[in-house]
Amino acid sequence: MGPLSRDVWAQRLGAFRASPSAFMAGPEAEDLGRDLLGDLRSEKLSEQTKVSLLALSLEYPAQLWPDASAAEVAATSLLDTLVLLPPRPSALRRPLLLAATTALAVGGALGPTSGASCRLLPLLLGLAAGSDLGRGFVPASEQRPLQATACECLRELESCKPGLLGGSLGLLRGLLGQEGPVQPLSLLLSLALRNTLVLQSRAGAGLGALLTARVSPTGGGPWDWTLVEEGDGRLQPQAPSWPVAEEGEGEPSLTAREHSPEEARELRAAVAQLLDTSYLLTPVAQAQLLWLLGWALRGLQGQPPALFKPQLVRLLGTAQLTLLHAVLALKAAFGEALFTAQDETLLLRRLTLAAQHPALPLSTHLFYLHCLLSFPENCPLGPEGEEAAPLLLRPQLCRGLLPSLLHEPMALLARLHLLCLLCAEDEEEEEKSQLPSPGHYLEELLAGLWQRAALEGGPRALATLCFQASYLVARCLAGQPTVLTPLIHGLAQLYRARPMLAPHFVDLLDHVDPELREPLKVVLRQEVVSRPGRDEALCWHLQMLARVADGDAQSATLNFLRAVAAHCTSWDLQQGLLQVCRALLRAGVGGGLVDLLQVLARQLEDPDGCDHARLYYILLAHLAGPKLGVALGPSLAAPALASSLVAENQGFVAALMVQEAPALIRLSVGSHEVKGPLPVLQLLPEALEPIYSLELRFRVEGQLYAPLGAVHVPYLCPGRPARPLLLPLQPRCPAPTRLDVHALYTTSTGLTCHVHLPPLFVNFADLFLPFPKPPEGAGLGFFEELWDSCLPEGAESRVWCPLGPQGLEGLVSRHLEPFVVVAQPPTSYYVAIHLPPDSKLLLRLEAALAEGVPVALRTDDWAVLPLVGDYLRGLAAAV
Amino acid sequence: MAQRALWLISHEPGTPLRGTVRFSRRYPTVEKRARVFNRASYVPIPEDGPFLKALLFELRLLDDDKDFVESRDSCSRINKTSIYGLLVGGEELWPVVAFLKNDMIYACVPLVEQTLSPRPPLISVSGVSQGFELLYGIQDFLYSGQKNDNELNTKLSQLPDLLLQACPFGTVLDANLQNSLDNTNFASVTQPQKQPAWKPGTYKGKPQVSISITEKVKSMQYDKQGVADTWQVVGTVTCKCDLEGSMPNVTISLSLPTNGSPLQDILVHPCVTSLDSAILTSSSIDAMDDSAFSGPYKFPFTPPLESFNLCYYTSQVPVPPILGFYQMKEEEVQLRITINLKLHESVKNNFEFCEAHIPFFNRGPITHLEYKTSFGQLEVFREKSLLIWIIGQKFPKSMEISLSGTVTFGAKSHEKQPFDPICVGETAYLKLHFRILDYTLTGCYADQHSVQVFASGKPKISAYRKLISSDYYIWNSKAPAPVTYGSLLL
Repeated sequence: MGPLSRDVWAQRLGAFRASPSAFMAGPEAEDLGRDLLGDLRSEKLSEQTKVSLLALSLEYPAQLWPDASAAEVAATSLLDTLVLLPPRPSALRRPLLLAATTALAVGGALGPTSGASCRLLPLLLGLAAGSDLGRGFVPASEQRPLQATACECLRELESCKPGLLGGSLGLLRGLLGQEGPVQPLSLLLSLALRNTLVLQSRAGAGLGALLTARVSPTGGGPWDWTLVEEGDGRLQPQAPSWPVAEEGEGEPSLTAREHSPEEARELRAAVAQLLDTSYLLTPVAQAQLLWLLGWALRGLQGQPPALFKPQLVRLLGTAQLTLLHAVLALKAAFGEALFTAQDETLLLRRLTLAAQHPALPLSTHLFYLHCLLSFPENCPLGPEGEEAAPLLLRPQLCRGLLPSLLHEPMALLARLHLLCLLCAEDEEEEEKSQLPSPGHYLEELLAGLWQRAALEGGPRALATLCFQASYLVARCLAGQPTVLTPLIHGLAQLYRARPMLAPHFVDLLDHVDPELREPLKVVLRQEVVSRPGRDEALCWHLQMLARVADGDAQSATLNFLRAVAAHCTSWDLQQGLLQVCRALLRAGVGGGLVDLLQVLARQLEDPDGCDHARLYYILLAHLAGPKLGVALGPSLAAPALASSLVAENQGFVAALMVQEAPALIRLSVGSHEVKGPLPVLQLLPEALEPIYSLELRFRVEGQLYAPLGAVHVPYLCPGRPARPLLLPLQPRCPAPTRLDVHALYTTSTGLTCHVHLPPLFVNFADLFLPFPKPPEGAGLGFFEELWDSCLPEGAESRVWCPLGPQGLEGLVSRHLEPFVVVAQPPTSYYVAIHLPPDSKLLLRLEAALAEGVPVALRTDDWAVLPLVGDYLRGLAAAV
Repeated sequence: MAQRALWLISHEPGTPLRGTVRFSRRYPTVEKRARVFNRASYVPIPEDGPFLKALLFELRLLDDDKDFVESRDSCSRINKTSIYGLLVGGEELWPVVAFLKNDMIYACVPLVEQTLSPRPPLISVSGVSQGFELLYGIQDFLYSGQKNDNELNTKLSQLPDLLLQACPFGTVLDANLQNSLDNTNFASVTQPQKQPAWKPGTYKGKPQVSISITEKVKSMQYDKQGVADTWQVVGTVTCKCDLEGSMPNVTISLSLPTNGSPLQDILVHPCVTSLDSAILTSSSIDAMDDSAFSGPYKFPFTPPLESFNLCYYTSQVPVPPILGFYQMKEEEVQLRITINLKLHESVKNNFEFCEAHIPFFNRGPITHLEYKTSFGQLEVFREKSLLIWIIGQKFPKSMEISLSGTVTFGAKSHEKQPFDPICVGETAYLKLHFRILDYTLTGCYADQHSVQVFASGKPKISAYRKLISSDYYIWNSKAPAPVTYGSLLL
């Protein structure tokens, strides 16, 4: 395909810029990167079009060449295009250099194994050094701009791969001292110096040698990647954020390695050289230089920050945001070492002045105000990271920074914060000065804000501002009754004047501390319930009441609801009314509410309202208080903005339905005890969390036993041993089985949960029951009678029962004691076992040897023979 | 220090989207660093469409504030700086530096070189001030001397090329875009080594230095017990130095007459090379006394090529130039107003113009007016509910003039008559607009003989002065009025 025309490209670029993701999902996406590279060499396209193609590659290289190999190919192609340019001035050289740099840096291709990197880096360094690259590569008129551009490209690569230029420090220093362009070289050198300082403190490379080495830029040797590799390619913050630097997290300590006196001297000379010519830099670049050097030298031994001092007076006089900000960064980096107490005062005064200077724009004022409240003090007192007025900022200094109603919202809030901080201090110190009391001023200001928010037809922004101010005051001055009382009073008045602000009040109540919330709720509830009757603002009153209604003042609230119920004719009013009922239900209000709900269920015309009233009535009648609270509580499942009905349904689903849950209980089978006419399984429950109303349900596999009844436990608490539960079994035939167990319980949060527990096993021995005890002395006869009755229908067998160390006596007393009819210890035992429902098992254990005893057995149910055999053979092993 | 992206968005109320992205630029190398530094808290730069929507919402420019929206109106979402967090695609993009000026929104996202959770304090993020400076620079470039939309469009179309010079990789090299424009023009000149980066070339031609001092005076007058009237002068000294040589040195001295008011709160241009400590410390924060430094104020500097603001200052003159009172009373269906203005005798009685604007807010159109004035003419803008009293070039000999009358209003309709949250009921103000040429209220002047220029050739030196009113309010003394803390200091 031939090159695309200018118009086609314009259209394509337009489509891409409109939405890169949509374009990349389309059919043209795949070819874009390739076409772009190809058409850059087309002779049919104008330079201007090509510049616009390169501009796109500067912004979206990741979309055009998404992986390292594509980026490598692209950078190579861009470099080829650059080399092939005819030796006359061209607008393409700068953007080509920028594009190749961007492609390599973004694509992650920059590295010693990348061919394009190995071509680009020496080329850039050569251009930066202003060397003649031969063949008219750089026309004379472009020499200077390209030199600057090359420096910028190198700076960007150094930013992305710290340590890249560690080997070129000496060269850059030399260039800066000679003919090179001051700003690009200063910025590049300061960044490379900073990164080298960080990396070599770990690597141990000689700084002095790096600073003085004068390698030729076109020396041809391979690029030195040592420092990059030492740094593991980890990015270095160029201007670290202060608290992080303080903690030393991620920022290797620069003090780790001491410099020799010679190195220190050389370093000082380099920094002084940079600072001395810094006035030649643009203000933004000066600021960058100061951030870089300040944080590079911070904590470095033998490098007094006094080097910066000569710059400070000049910088403090300016109105430039970046410069004053950089001075603050130096202040944070060096503190007292660079700023004496007097310097600190001066800086604070200049900052205070700049924060209100009429010649500066609002956004600058606001940033300076922020800086004032985060001022890096020499001796900070308060907790770190919280905005606070610096100690030296006396009320006298601040008087021009206090808010007035005429300020823009953001300025008003920022200044209000300062005023609150002053009020808090004023309270502490009770300093008597000739200045008007900040507290009194605050009160008047708030009154003005409420008055404005109360204006009918006023924009919502004014109301928002008023509530933000109230919130700010409540947060800063929470413990001060002198502030809170008028605040509550003023807000109540505002509500009276403009009930449509109810959503703002609800939001405020949701955010403030209980110190304000509780009294404010009371006052607002009174505001609402004291005005029953038809009112245009009824919907707002109901919305408000739904938030502030609780167990207190029930009768007044219910009276109000009864009075307004008749006026709630529309769906939304009815919903509002029901929301209040719901809030009362949650708060556990019972008595009068029942009547009201009954009335509503009959009276409301809207079927939805009617249903809800009935539902609430039923809930109130049937659910216990805590459960009701949970059922009507906010649902965690529903997103915050979903409608109340959805939230309500979700809440019911959660609270009124049974949840499948992970097991909070464990169940085990206790020791076998023989009691009563039926075999009984002793169950030991154990809870991991407090649970209520536990119901255990059992199911027997097959039809071996009669269905089992459920077992109920009212309360289980972890760590407190529960009474064993007795589960009577009704076997239909004498066989062991497995019980399927389900548990149903209520958690302390009121949710009802269902869980399938691991199965329980009923062993053969668990079914053993004794025969009624024969009269004293009649044992043998009784046994013989049973023994004889087994045959001929039954079965007879002999089994070898191995004996453990405890011998026969031990074995019998441990396992068969309740069933022994005739005993001649330690040699002979006759055992009779009743197997429910109506089988018998008779054992004669006689003539025991050391290792075992022969057992003669008879039963009237031949099916149990294998079970008996297994049982007897396993006895010795069973503990 | 770098910026991840920047946008210019024109605010267009009434259109479906309420705005259009006029220009945007992304910096992918910085974005790559952001992803590494921000780690799990990284939020990518959105495309223009979603960004526009989120920003307009945050700045409350979507004009749909009928309902309470928690993510915008909640009392806990307090913004005290022009730096925002924008909700885009369920994540919060922060910090977004943005401000609105002349219907254009300027926005950028500075790189934060650490994780964003917890958020570091803004003061510790170097890119914030850099971002502001870049946006201010773009604003200056777009609106300096710009008169119409065509010029604006031309300048917008120059931006991509200029930013390729001024901010090629997201790190700002020069916030003054005019320099970048000149840079392209001066490119062919071989520069000497000590050429400042903020001076793209050298001037060739007749040497001349022009200095103009503009003072703005603002005032709040209440005519009330317990509330002090306030006034303040804000001065700007603008210079244009056409001098040959790469680094000509100039020193300008500002002087005051014997009874002149000391200059305070002086902020200087970064090209000023040194400052007297008396200049640095003279501040309006301190109580004034006779020992205050009263000049001459010397400013040695190396001038840039273009016109620049050498310094700003404020001053507290002993009396306001025009002292007045305004009384307004509601009398059944009409308002009765009485206004009295008095020019101070020390002030030059020779105005370019002088007017008093008397607006009536939150009322209907003016239906009837009866008035009597001792001087000047009254213009009535019935629909706007506004009276303009044109005083003209001179106050009469008595230096005192008055206006009284009654005004009646029709029914209020919200669309046409202005709403004002402050001027409710009888709270009202009148605002003075005036300009006096060749005059400063402080008396401050640049003595032509004291201007020292160290450059070849003797330059022609010209100096200009003017006084302009700005925010000069006189409040109705018969009703409450908004006061500042300063007004309570009696």
